[in-house]
Amino acid sequence: MKLIISNISGIPIYEQIKQQVKSAIMSGDLQADETLPSLRTLAKELKISVLTVTRAYTELEQEGFVKNIQGRGCFVLGQGSELLREQLICKIENNLSEAINAARVANLSEEELHHLLSILMEEKTDE
Amino acid sequence: MSNIWKSAKLDFSLVKPYVKTICFTMVLPVVFAAINRSLLTGISFAMCFIAMTTGYTFSITEKNSMERLYGILPIRKSDMVIGRYIFIIIMGLTALIFSLIAHPVILTILGESISIFDYISAAVTGIFLFALYTVFQLPGYYRFGSIKGRVFMYIPVAGFLITLLLITKSPVGESKLLFTVINFPILLMLLAVIFVIAMYVVSILVSIKILKNKEM
Amino acid sequence: MNDYLEVRNLSKSFEGFQLHNITFTLPKGYIMGLIGPNGSGKTTTIKLILNMLKRTSGEVKILGFDNIASEQEAKRNLGVVFDSNYFSDEWKISQVEKSVSAFYENWNTQKFSETLKRFHIQPSKKVKELSKGMQMKLMLACAFSYDAKLLILDEPTSGLDPVSRDELLHILSEYIEDGEHSVLFSTHITGDLERAADYITYISYGELFFSGGKDEFIDSFRIVKGGCEELSTDLGKKMLGIRNFSTGFEALIKTEDLKQFAHLNVEPATIDDIVVFTSKRGEQYE
Repeated sequence: MKLIISNISGIPIYEQIKQQVKSAIMSGDLQADETLPSLRTLAKELKISVLTVTRAYTELEQEGFVKNIQGRGCFVLGQGSELLREQLICKIENNLSEAINAARVANLSEEELHHLLSILMEEKTDE
Repeated sequence: MSNIWKSAKLDFSLVKPYVKTICFTMVLPVVFAAINRSLLTGISFAMCFIAMTTGYTFSITEKNSMERLYGILPIRKSDMVIGRYIFIIIMGLTALIFSLIAHPVILTILGESISIFDYISAAVTGIFLFALYTVFQLPGYYRFGSIKGRVFMYIPVAGFLITLLLITKSPVGESKLLFTVINFPILLMLLAVIFVIAMYVVSILVSIKILKNKEM
Repeated sequence: MNDYLEVRNLSKSFEGFQLHNITFTLPKGYIMGLIGPNGSGKTTTIKLILNMLKRTSGEVKILGFDNIASEQEAKRNLGVVFDSNYFSDEWKISQVEKSVSAFYENWNTQKFSETLKRFHIQPSKKVKELSKGMQMKLMLACAFSYDAKLLILDEPTSGLDPVSRDELLHILSEYIEDGEHSVLFSTHITGDLERAADYITYISYGELFFSGGKDEFIDSFRIVKGGCEELSTDLGKKMLGIRNFSTGFEALIKTEDLKQFAHLNVEPATIDDIVVFTSKRGEQYE
């Protein structure tokens, strides 16, 4: 599994770990029942604090992507990508609702909102 | 008990590089014994000289800031102190035994005869003098360190000179002393031994108290 | 035994300096950075833990043992590294082993010689012939040889080059990898701790400023930057420290106060930033 930590991105390290683990699960790099690297070994190799990795793994478990079994390791959940997808769809719904509310306040029409969406999607594909 | 012994061995390992120097200092008293034709003089000098080296463990500790090692090791402060005293006493006894062999040999070669009485009284005097010097030196070193406590290194010298004064400058006193000694030798020696033990006990207790209150 | 080091209300008065009510706990399996500017009380705290100084009040427990009442048992599991070596300069490494191993029942001679090899320390050398970095590793080698559970390091990296500092951090992360060892690392070179420390205890001028998770510590502060005219009275009240330039300012604020100043340039704060800004006593903004 590939894990690259950036010191300068401004994103907290535990968040970076979470994001990268999630994308690895989504893309199939991490299969169901595979174990994540041992918590302490990962901390040692990346030279980051054990608590930081613990937080990442714990939050991943809370969000349903992995299961932490004492003494055995951190296992990627079978329903991983399904769960991930469900969670993300939920997130999209929430964010879209917020966007719609904000658009209403700003008096943006549905067309203008759609247009905004298209522009943003184009920008994101360029990134 | 075993920690005390370990502490004494540790002190010895500190002083090991200087053993040769200390041995050389034991040569001069032999010369003095020969000059004065007296075992008592030789032994007194020897004990004075060896007592002047008791500061080594303190000065070496200070030079290398080794009090931090003592602070880390799992050993009680009282064991450290007693261990150091044991080491110093062993050093003194070693010097004494060496001198009690070397000096009579030289004196006999020079034609002097040494009675058992001379021998034993020199031994006891040696032990007593060494004890007298060190029971004041060690608490002094513990309290003031080896640099400020430098003055304590000269206690044996002062003490020795006073002893010399008492022995040579008062013939009346000398005969009175000799009288008591000849008539009650065993009693006096017993008293000396008890006194030595008592002095060391008090001195050790004082040193332990000083070390426990010391800020390192 | 989950907490390897417990310090409660530790206080010490000197002439001209007071260490006041220092409290922190280091659980097993983690690295705690003890930080603060020079003279703030870090070394005093460590010496109090080792009972090398007499405390005025408070309590210290090492692996559950009281550091005064059970001093011997407490120190059996303790390894300490200072910024300079505490052996006799004249000792050969073999003498170091002889002298130190006598006091530890579980001294492992093989471990000692393997560790020396790993650290590239030649056993035939005398202590005075070793470089500063080697001397530091020698102290570590001793601690590892009796499997000290708690390692306390007092400014171990001052005087070391970045390579040696990096090496040390690697050695320490390996040390805690099995979850059965802890490290208390006192330093004023906070860069060493930015990533590796799990907990931070920050002592500032004898007072406990913070003790808790490192991520939490860093996360509760932000640096805000702006032009001179953006320095409002509100900001003056909320900020913990400031740097003024002719072209603007940089200030440290608590994250909880961030909302009102979101219009300024906001950056995460490093441990260094936090220590430097909060140590600027009496620095006022105009």
